[in-house]
Amino acid sequence: MNEKELVLEVSELTVNYGATSALKSVDLFAHKGEIVGLAGPNGAGKTTLLETIAGFLRQKEGDIRLFGTQINEFPVLKRRMMGVVLVPQERNNFPYMTVSENLDVGGIINCKDVNKRLIEEVYQLFPVLHTRANQLAGTMSGGEQRMLAIGIGLVSNASILLIDEPSTGLAPKMVTRLFETLGSIKELTGKTIVLSEQNIGVIDIADRVFGIEAGEVRFCEKTEDLDRDIIRDLYLGK
Amino acid sequence: MNLDAGITGIIMGGVLSLPVLGIAVIYGMTGITNFAIGTIGVFCAFMTWTFFSYGTVVGILVGLATSFVIGYVIQWFLLTPLSEKGGDSTLFFIVTICIGLVFTGLTRVLFPRPNISLLLPRMGTVRILGVTTSGLKIFAFFFALSVLFLIRLSEKHTNIGKSWRATSQNLKLAKTVGIDTQHVFAWASSIGCMLSFSGAVFWAALYNVSLMSGWDLTFLGFIIAVVGGIGNIWGGMLSALLMGMVMSYSGHILGGMWQSVVLYFIVILVLIISPRGILGSERSL
Ligand SMILES: Nc1ncnc2c1ncn2[C@@H]1O[C@H](COP(=O)(O)OP(=O)(O)OP(=O)(O)O)[C@@H](O)[C@H]1O
Ligand SMILES: [Mg+2]
Repeated sequence: MNEKELVLEVSELTVNYGATSALKSVDLFAHKGEIVGLAGPNGAGKTTLLETIAGFLRQKEGDIRLFGTQINEFPVLKRRMMGVVLVPQERNNFPYMTVSENLDVGGIINCKDVNKRLIEEVYQLFPVLHTRANQLAGTMSGGEQRMLAIGIGLVSNASILLIDEPSTGLAPKMVTRLFETLGSIKELTGKTIVLSEQNIGVIDIADRVFGIEAGEVRFCEKTEDLDRDIIRDLYLGK
Repeated sequence: MNLDAGITGIIMGGVLSLPVLGIAVIYGMTGITNFAIGTIGVFCAFMTWTFFSYGTVVGILVGLATSFVIGYVIQWFLLTPLSEKGGDSTLFFIVTICIGLVFTGLTRVLFPRPNISLLLPRMGTVRILGVTTSGLKIFAFFFALSVLFLIRLSEKHTNIGKSWRATSQNLKLAKTVGIDTQHVFAWASSIGCMLSFSGAVFWAALYNVSLMSGWDLTFLGFIIAVVGGIGNIWGGMLSALLMGMVMSYSGHILGGMWQSVVLYFIVILVLIISPRGILGSERSL
C-alpha cells in the first residue's frame, strides 16, 4: 500500500432501516489528499454510507475510524469539529436565506478572514452564485442550488468532504468544470473528498473507486487500473 | 371612534405580543408548539412577586433568571430528546400541556396566594391625542416593540442570529456545518419563556395574575400567533395589536360579555380566509 496517512477507514459496516439492511459489511478507506468515488446504481446504498460516516445514521455493526480514532458513537457536531462535512443529496441549502448568507453559514466555525477568502474562491468557481448573491436560495434553479450546496461544502473548509452526487442536475460543461475544480482543490489543499457519483467522468478525477451494489462493495480499484466497462456494467446492472 | 378604547387596545396588544413573540420564537426555531409557556411565565411572575420585598429590580431579575433556566432545562432534557425520537405534534401538544400543568401545580404548592399583582412604578402619566394614560403602559408597549426589533436585527446581522435561522430552515445541514443546534434550541426555549415572563409581569402590573392566567396567556398567545402566521414574528406583533383593538372596541361598544364572542369569531373568519395567517408562516402547523 502507499505510505499516505489513512484518514478515513470504514470496516465491516452494516446499517439497517428497520429490518432491511441497506449496507452489508462494507469496507471503505481514504488516504489524505485522495478523491474517492462511490459508484453504484440507484438504491445501492451510497447515500446511506455517506450519512453514516457523517453521523446522521447509526451503524448496526462495524467501525468507523477518523485519523485512527474510532468515532462510532460520536455525534454529528463532534465529527464536524474533526473535519467531516457532508453535502447532502437533497435539501442541501437554507432556503429562506440569501446565497451569500448561505455561504456565511457554511463557514460559520471558520475565522472571518478564512471565510472571506473561501467565499471569494467559491464565487470564482461559480460566478452565477456571485451574481445571485442576494437571491433567496430556495428560489434558485435546481442546478444553481446544486452549485450553492457544493459552495457551502467548500466554504466549510472540511478536511474530509463528503459530497452526495455533486453532478446531478448540472450541465455537462459544468460537470467537467466541477470535477476539474475538485481535482485542483485536492491538489492545493490536501483535502480528502469522498463523492458518490452516477457520472462516469468521476474516474478522471478519482484516485480510487468503490463500486457498490445492493449494499455491498463489488470492487475497489485504483482508477488507473479500472476498466470503464466495469463501471458501466455496475450502473446498468450488467 | 373612541380614542380611549383604541389606546387601551394597542397597549393590551403590546403586552399580549410578548408571549406571542415567545411562542413564535420557540415554534419558528424548534418547530415545537409549547403550550407550557404561559404557565411558566406566570410561575416566574410569582417568583418575582416573592422577591419583590428585596426591591423591584431584584424581583424581576430573579424571575428572568428562573424563566431562562426553566426554558433551557425543559428543552434540553425533555423536548429535544423527544423530537429526536421522532415525536409528532400531538405528542408535543400533550407533553407540553402536562409541563404546563406541572407549573400550575407548583405555583399552587410553592406560593401562599392564588393571585397577585405587582406594583411597578407608574412612570408618570402621558397624554396622547387628548387621552391620559400611565407611563408604564406606554413603556410596556415600547418594550414589546423594541424586543421585536432586537430579535429581527440580530437574526439578520449577527452570526448567532444566522445560525438560528439556519437551524430553523435546515436542521441537518446546520448540524453538518457545525452549528450546535441543541444549544440553539435550548436558547430559543429560554428566550420564549423570558418573553412570556415579561408578558406576565406587565399583566400583573396592569391588571392581576392568578394561578390560571398562564393558560389564558398560552391560548390567547397561540391563537394570536396562528392568526399572524405562526413562527412569523412580524405577523405575531401585527396580529396582537389587531386583537388588542378588537377586544378593546368590542368590549367598549357591546360590553365585556361580548368580547370573546367577537374576538374568536373574527379569529375563525381570518383563518378561513387565510389559513396560514395574516402574514403567512414559514412553517405550517
Ligand atoms: N429512511 C429509509 N427507510 C427505509 N429504507 C430506506 C431509507 N432510506 C433509504 N432506504 C433504502 O436503502 C437503500 C439504499 O438507499 P440509498 O439512498 O443509500 O441509495 P443510493 O445509492 O444513495 O441511491 P441513489 O443513487 O438513488 O441516491 C434503498 O433500497 C432505499 O430504498
Ligand atoms: Mg443517494
